[in-house]
Amino acid sequence: MLSLLSEPVGLSHYLIVGAVMFVSGAVCMATKRNALGVLMGIELVLNGANVNFVAFGSDFLARNPNYGIGLDGHVIALFVIVLAAAEAAVALAIVLNFYNNHATIDVDKADELKG
Amino acid sequence: METIPTLLGAAWLLPLVSFTLILLFGPRMGKAGKAASYVAIGAIGGGFVLSLIALFQWRGIDEPYLAGEWYTLAQFDSLKLTIGYYVDTLTVVMFCMVTLIATCIHFYAVGYMHEELHDVTDHEVTLADGSHLTRPGRFHRFFQYLSLFCFSMLGIVISGNIAMTFVFWELVGICSYFLIGFYIERKSASTAANKAFIVNRVGDMGMIIGLMVLFTTLGTFNFGDVDGEPGIFSLVRPEVAHHDDHAGRDAAASPFATVALAPKADAGDQSDHHGDHTAHATRPLVVPQGMFDAAVRDRVAAGEEATAENLEAWQSSKLGYGLLVIAGLGIFCGCVGKSAQFPLHVWLPDAMEGPTPVSALVHSATMVAAGVFLVGRFYPVFTPEVLLAIAVIGCFTLFMAATIAITATDIKRVLAYSTLSQLGYMMFALGVGGWVAGMLHLITHAFFKSLLFMCSGSVIHAVHSNEMTDMGGLLKKMPITAYTMLVGCLAIIGAGIPLVIGLSGYYSKDAILAQAMLFAEQDENGLFRLMFFVAAGGAAITAFYMFRLWFMTFLGEPRDAHRYEHAHESPKVMTYPLLVLSFFAIFVATPLTSLDMTTAPLTAALDEARPADDHQARTAEDAAGATWLSIPYEHDSHTARIHTQAGLIAFGTAMGGLLLACCIYWWRLVNPREVADMFRPIYRFLLGKWWFDELYDRLFVQPTFFFSRIIAGIDKNLIDWLIDNLAAGTRWFCVGFDTWIDRLFVDGLVNWTARKIYAIGLAFRAVQTGNLRQYIVLIVVGTVALFILATFGFAG
Amino acid sequence: MDPINWHTLFFLLFAGIACAFALGVVFSSNVVRMAFFLIISLAATAGLFFLAGADFVGAMQLVLYVGGTLVLLVFGVMLTAQSPFISIRTSGGDWILAALVGGSMLAILVPTALMIGERANMPSAEADATTRAEPPGAIQPVVMAKEEPTVAMLPPVPVESRPTATNIGQALIGVRVDKLEETNERKRAGLAGYVMPFEVISIHLLVVLVGAAFLARARRRAKSRFADAA
Repeated sequence: MLSLLSEPVGLSHYLIVGAVMFVSGAVCMATKRNALGVLMGIELVLNGANVNFVAFGSDFLARNPNYGIGLDGHVIALFVIVLAAAEAAVALAIVLNFYNNHATIDVDKADELKG
Repeated sequence: METIPTLLGAAWLLPLVSFTLILLFGPRMGKAGKAASYVAIGAIGGGFVLSLIALFQWRGIDEPYLAGEWYTLAQFDSLKLTIGYYVDTLTVVMFCMVTLIATCIHFYAVGYMHEELHDVTDHEVTLADGSHLTRPGRFHRFFQYLSLFCFSMLGIVISGNIAMTFVFWELVGICSYFLIGFYIERKSASTAANKAFIVNRVGDMGMIIGLMVLFTTLGTFNFGDVDGEPGIFSLVRPEVAHHDDHAGRDAAASPFATVALAPKADAGDQSDHHGDHTAHATRPLVVPQGMFDAAVRDRVAAGEEATAENLEAWQSSKLGYGLLVIAGLGIFCGCVGKSAQFPLHVWLPDAMEGPTPVSALVHSATMVAAGVFLVGRFYPVFTPEVLLAIAVIGCFTLFMAATIAITATDIKRVLAYSTLSQLGYMMFALGVGGWVAGMLHLITHAFFKSLLFMCSGSVIHAVHSNEMTDMGGLLKKMPITAYTMLVGCLAIIGAGIPLVIGLSGYYSKDAILAQAMLFAEQDENGLFRLMFFVAAGGAAITAFYMFRLWFMTFLGEPRDAHRYEHAHESPKVMTYPLLVLSFFAIFVATPLTSLDMTTAPLTAALDEARPADDHQARTAEDAAGATWLSIPYEHDSHTARIHTQAGLIAFGTAMGGLLLACCIYWWRLVNPREVADMFRPIYRFLLGKWWFDELYDRLFVQPTFFFSRIIAGIDKNLIDWLIDNLAAGTRWFCVGFDTWIDRLFVDGLVNWTARKIYAIGLAFRAVQTGNLRQYIVLIVVGTVALFILATFGFAG
Repeated sequence: MDPINWHTLFFLLFAGIACAFALGVVFSSNVVRMAFFLIISLAATAGLFFLAGADFVGAMQLVLYVGGTLVLLVFGVMLTAQSPFISIRTSGGDWILAALVGGSMLAILVPTALMIGERANMPSAEADATTRAEPPGAIQPVVMAKEEPTVAMLPPVPVESRPTATNIGQALIGVRVDKLEETNERKRAGLAGYVMPFEVISIHLLVVLVGAAFLARARRRAKSRFADAA
């Protein structure tokens, strides 16, 4: 446990955090019946991915220059943030519309596209 | 001098303007299109004024003719189609005559056609339900067609080339079709219009042949010389200079010795002798170089060699002369159709189905005149053989038509057959060499025949019947019509004081008979004498049937009291034109200064217009070189001996006919019924119009029907059978093909594929639950599966 | 005992918070709490970004995500927070299925992360040797290391901290100032920057703005029908 504190942080640490957040998001999407819950799952998934991008772009973490993607990671993370915001806006609009029309936000009720 | 073609051109185009205006705005012109008549009258009246100005200007001009081109429509190599003019005295005189008569007829038609101003109930058309047809009036359309008719006729008169003539020739034909078929709802009218049109096509076929011969051999359509290019007339009759009178006679005696074209320089030399009757410049009829070349080409193609001796021999044997004859006969063929001469005369009596102003126009100034006019215009091209054919046909027509007119009871039909007969006179006159006589008769006849037709129209207008058996005693009811018609009758029979003075017909008929007599005398041939007697006898018959008509209509007791009660004099718009025309019918050919008819202004003017001639008798020779036919020179008939004899004979025959008519129909010394019974076979023969219609029916119509039926039988029984069976076979094959290949195999394959795909779709449908969370689970599972696959599946 | 590496300590702190609250989001069934947990989780993520030297991205994470997007979500929660919908239970079967799937995914991701981390922390030459030792034709899990053995070995711990905002700003308008002196040909490839994606994103945002406004606008008919039903 102590050795964990004294060793420098590496890329793996970040990737594990990203993986945990990604899986949390996926499970969240799979289990929540509330449409907003599903949206939160999406945010978590996107954040997990973002953690990975930032980690790969960090000069501190990747000591081998061949593995670093430098500023590209940061910029892609930024784009993901922006797109997440846009996605959230549209998704929320859809959810509200759905709520207006069906008087519920239970995604299990939204099966009108059943084949 | 250049203003004359412009004046005449304007006079020619005015009716076209009127036609276009009425065509576009006709129904909106005034009340029910009444103003259309003002437009048409204005156009034709303006044309008359312009023609009159042109006539006065023409008196100051020395040129024999003016020829030129206004507009070139198209040029294909040497084939040049132009709108051109050929103006000589004949053109100008014809212009004045046509426009004057047409103006009178236009005025007259305003009164005659007034019924068309409102809705018309046609009592001669019975509909399927037994009622009579009621249709809107067609006043404006009538004047529209009249304008087009005048335009077409003036186009023929002014036309400068034979192609243009042909175009207007056909336009006249189509106009007559429109006007004869004016009451198109009547079966008889539409049939008559068709008949006129189709019979004319037969003649036009010959005309096209003539045109083609002329063009292919001469390479030009023009009548006169235009811009130094020789026209047809100059090619056929090149000017040959003879300073010595004796030499001139020699050349004339053997005109074909000078086959080679006259050198142009020579023609230029002669300009100072131009227009002088005593000049020695002659224009003998020659075989044009083009025709000679064409014939030589035929000979060479047949295997003969064109050596110098051969060429000389051919030249002296008049090689290519046959082409000239064919060209002349072809052109005359068209004139036969248009002027209703013997074989193609059947359309003209039926053309009476048109309204009476149309009959007046067709039978006097325009349509039938066009044929005679063209013969006169083409006179230089006709060889003596062709002239003989013209004379024979004219002679036969004048006799046949006159006999039919004796028995006809329809007032318009009597006049129609009279027209036929008079046209026969004109053709006969032209055929025997009386060019001036024929043209003079054309003009005088135009005046008195239009007068007669309009009088008859006036009568019909009053009693509403065409049959003379419904008339009688109308003199008191309608005196103006009666007396003007009397003038017309006197004019047509050539009444006058022999050798002193007479009505217009007197001069023209005298001239014709004198020429015929000269012709008969010069040849020791029974046929030619017979032709003279026929013509003289025709004069007697003319007098008989014309006065039969007048007496039956205006004298005696009314045969139909009811119609008599309702009869009345026509309105002034109809009677004034009658007065104008009767003035001209009397005085148009009167000599002003002396008793000699050749000094009459009209005759003198026409004599000026005499086509380029050698002022010699035209002769034709047989193979041995002996002269067998001689068409005499017209001036020779003016000698006192011939003229006195002919005049007396004409007077005698006419008075004889008149007397007979008086006996039977005025003084009633003989009952016409008894006469008819006495000569029953002849009477029936004449009443049946020589059975020409029946003859043509048997000769042409029935065989055509017969062949048509045979062909139809072959078509229906054989060809249809073949096609039906072929179709059935194909159908049978297709049904089999359809059943086995298409339905079972192709359709089966397609349906099977469709069914399978449908089944697969149904199977996958279960996956699409529409449950969002389920989809997410599936995505994650898919990702994991791919990862595992990538790691373990490919890495190994 | 080695001295405490503060960097590691803070990393563990933020990583723990982020993961814990992410799991909290998963396991909580109350949507209001979920939103709250999510905010905390994402804020902690921003801390992780700072620790990784991505100061600008971290700041944006806080401003845009936590301050914008999540506020939007909270609004959504508030608008729909009627008692039946605050906590909707999920059946046990779904939970088990989700756990199975999520677990298997985690089982794949975590070893991979460890593997990549090991390799990334190797000195350059050694890593290249490892890479080259692999049989030719084998698929590389991470497509990065293959060439440039000439680059000198870097110092093991480059701890120089540079602010990144300027460089990111320049990159977005098309200039990669951070790569101007780069000698590695492969890495010089991206010198053109991000003008094109930047423009695409901006138009995308405009479209989203319009679309969201269109979708969310109040519809009279729907409302009236809803009112009738009520």
